[in-house]
Amino acid sequence: MVPAPFPFDTVLIANRGEIAVRIIGSLRKLGLRAAIVYHDVDAAAPAVALADVAIRISGKSPVSAYLDGGQIIEAARTVGAGALHPGYGFLSENASFARAVTAAGIAFIGPTPEVIELMGDKIRARSFVERNGFPVAPSAIEESDPSTFLARARSIGAPLLVKPSAGGGGKGMRIVRDLDLLEDAVAEARSEGQRYFADGRLYVERYVERPRHIEVQVLGDAFGSVVHLLERECSVQRRFQKIIEETPSPALSMPMRQKICETAAGIARAAGYRNAGTVEFIFGGGEFYFLEMNTRLQVEHPVTEMITGVDLVAEQIAVAANRPLSFRQSDISAQGHAIEARLYAESPERGFSPTSGKVLMLEYPHEQGVRVDGGIAQGQSITTAFDPMLAKVIVHAPTRDAAVAKAMRAVQNLVLLGCETNAGFLARVLGDHGFQSGEVHTGYLDENPSIALDPDDAADDVARLLAIAALVMRPVRDAADAVPALHADIGEWRN
Amino acid sequence: MFHKFGLGGLTHELWLAPTAIGYHLQVLDAWSGPVALVVEGTGRGRLTVAGVSEAVAFAVDGDVVHVHLRGRTRSLRYVDPLQALASVAADDGHNLARAPMPGAVVALKVAPGDAVTAGTVLMVIESMKLETQIRASQDGIVERLHVKDGDSFDRDAILVTLLQGN
Repeated sequence: MVPAPFPFDTVLIANRGEIAVRIIGSLRKLGLRAAIVYHDVDAAAPAVALADVAIRISGKSPVSAYLDGGQIIEAARTVGAGALHPGYGFLSENASFARAVTAAGIAFIGPTPEVIELMGDKIRARSFVERNGFPVAPSAIEESDPSTFLARARSIGAPLLVKPSAGGGGKGMRIVRDLDLLEDAVAEARSEGQRYFADGRLYVERYVERPRHIEVQVLGDAFGSVVHLLERECSVQRRFQKIIEETPSPALSMPMRQKICETAAGIARAAGYRNAGTVEFIFGGGEFYFLEMNTRLQVEHPVTEMITGVDLVAEQIAVAANRPLSFRQSDISAQGHAIEARLYAESPERGFSPTSGKVLMLEYPHEQGVRVDGGIAQGQSITTAFDPMLAKVIVHAPTRDAAVAKAMRAVQNLVLLGCETNAGFLARVLGDHGFQSGEVHTGYLDENPSIALDPDDAADDVARLLAIAALVMRPVRDAADAVPALHADIGEWRN
Repeated sequence: MFHKFGLGGLTHELWLAPTAIGYHLQVLDAWSGPVALVVEGTGRGRLTVAGVSEAVAFAVDGDVVHVHLRGRTRSLRYVDPLQALASVAADDGHNLARAPMPGAVVALKVAPGDAVTAGTVLMVIESMKLETQIRASQDGIVERLHVKDGDSFDRDAILVTLLQGN
């Protein structure tokens, strides 16, 4: 028997859904044992069935169970896990959790707590990046001198973006195009910051009109080696939530790509970054500014895996096992184009409100170059207890046009019955002329609200839908079958 | 007798009759022709309408039929003439209108204190792109609305409490 090449044989996954399934896939490949924690509402989830061992955790709400670091570390001890993968969300960017995991003698699969703290504080992160000579948007930070904050903000000039320092996910952000409205926006952002993050500190920066969201995947080892794995563009968003991501970005020229990717690697290197991370930039008018660094695996990491052939989760585990990176920057090359579309349990037609229901039928598309990272199973109930993302459809093709067509096909061939999803909306975005020509920015969907609207069914489709409904609905079928044979013999009757 | 199905915001009336080779569908004021469905495994089948065949997927959940057709998913509700009222449960002189399915509130039609009679529309809800009216099952006074416009709820959530009239 080949001895386990890792200093641990069991990895605990402190997450759920599709990312837990995704991590189990890499653990299997590496010959490691997969352990998972789960709340009762996830008992029927595929990740729990796939894991070698599953430990039940509880909490006041399902989410609070997955945020209970003490319970999770205890579970890791119980199963003898030597490493812990936090996935994304939940405790993945919680420095004290990372510290507690390490203190328990378990390897945290992620960066050091110090780097998580640095990048988790928007203001500190921004100052760090600026100090190291990388581009940041012109800005005014309130706490550097609260009495002159508004005056400094005004001197940047409109348009401005007001942000809570502790923020994320777009909460509390305000765009100010008229400086007379700055004071009101600051008050509103402060109150939202207090409410969401219990932190009213603010900063203001130059707002880039029609900005594109470009981010760069980086990977560092414990020996100071840092590489980038090219960019991803995630400009198709609604309310700052990404919906469709792709790589390469259709917006970057080769020299610009090189510049932005090297900047990201430089920032990570300056931070002594270890493990996988993502440096996010705002790109517009030929310039890019540092936005933030996410110190974890991103939801959209599979598009990078598709074009580079690198298994990012496997690399994360190797780094956590103190192995040097197995490749250098020059070994990284991109092949073709990859697109990811996020399948959400939500109704775009109804203001993207979350939906729920039991999954009565689930079939993923099968085609070469199509990967579905899913976290649900047929028979499982979708509730509004968690983030509404159900699965990701990722495609790889030689060109962008071919990838768009393939993604459209994959989204349309995915069958999920019983819970309303955004699948139709994804197909409409993929079929949208603006998206197809690559002319999108983060406000694109808001500027084009008609994309969210479901077109009426064609008369032809209505007849077909009614035919199926009539033929499978018991009372209708029974009533038809009760018609006397004589009547039936007339055959093609008309009313 | 015609059967009714809700699809999107519309209600369609239809009649299905057997023929020597399958069925004939008549959609009132819209379409009529031969139809057939050959089921190929659970929830999968081949639909033939007016001679054109294609693969479909479907699932029946109570009075709702979910259909995957031509790359799109649609849900249709069979309007059972015997179950025009929403499910209700009497409880200590109160009458609770519950959600028949997970969804969201489209419009509230009553306010607390309103007197209603059996059949009064209390609110309109939407689920799977289908609009459904929630009606009072008996006479009473609206004591409490448990949801507001736009709120989402799960199946069986209490939507309205009625104080029973005497």
